[in-house]
Amino acid sequence: MTLLSPSLLDRIGEEVVYTAPEPLGRAAIRYFALATGDTDPAHLAGDIAPPTLICETNQYANLPRDTDGYAGHGWHLDVPGTRLVRGGNAYRFERPVLPSTVVTARWKLADITERVTGSGKRMLVVTSVATYTDQHGLVLVVNEESLIYVER
Amino acid sequence: MSSDELVFVRTIELPDMIAYAGATWDWHKLHYDSAYLASRGLDRPVVDGQVFGAYLAIALREWFGAEAVISALSFRFKNLVFAGETIRCVGVPSESAAASATASRKIEIDLRVEVVEDGRIAVAPASATLTVP
Repeated sequence: MTLLSPSLLDRIGEEVVYTAPEPLGRAAIRYFALATGDTDPAHLAGDIAPPTLICETNQYANLPRDTDGYAGHGWHLDVPGTRLVRGGNAYRFERPVLPSTVVTARWKLADITERVTGSGKRMLVVTSVATYTDQHGLVLVVNEESLIYVER
Repeated sequence: MSSDELVFVRTIELPDMIAYAGATWDWHKLHYDSAYLASRGLDRPVVDGQVFGAYLAIALREWFGAEAVISALSFRFKNLVFAGETIRCVGVPSESAAASATASRKIEIDLRVEVVEDGRIAVAPASATLTVP
């Protein structure tokens, strides 16, 4: 019995695009800097975003929160008998993000692979790639993210 | 800990987590809702893993200066961190970076995040690439 069902395999390659309803804004940058204890004057002034901000915020998604309270992008994959844990992220920063930037995030479900944990449990590793661009189409950041569905 | 290691320490209190949830528009109940946590066998709010990316970026700029430009940052999660715990970001620059002394240099650095209270690893492996003028 595999966790990787045909219906999940069919999802590979799926893409979703979100464009923020407004520019990022100085307040959003300043709030993030304050919340993370960032001491960089340019971040605290809201002049330039800390590099990881657009990878961490759900601002651009403009989605309603789900039953867990989460209001960000998700693939909503159905993997019975598993629990979901975060795997990790790999960010590639291409350009600075400014308060005037209107972020578009293009999420792609890049891959799903089945593996076995050290303790013998099956798991699915879901790899997504988010490409963030500005209102001119220039790439700001590329974020490769892995989520892991581990057998209970 | 060796003398070559760079260290950045931060205690993460619940108000820090609430502020971060607001700043990132991430209101997942895992980070504050005690009833939700109890139903999942957890006794304390879980720190949002994404914040370690922000902390590592702050640590890199504290170690190498505000002019340092980070071009890549990657990290994998190992263990949950809970409200009230103190984390230690540790960086070890690669040999090639340490040997280079030009005006503008590219630095590769291995990173990890540990929990100070019990030494468990929160984030590893992790690494970054940055340019320092």
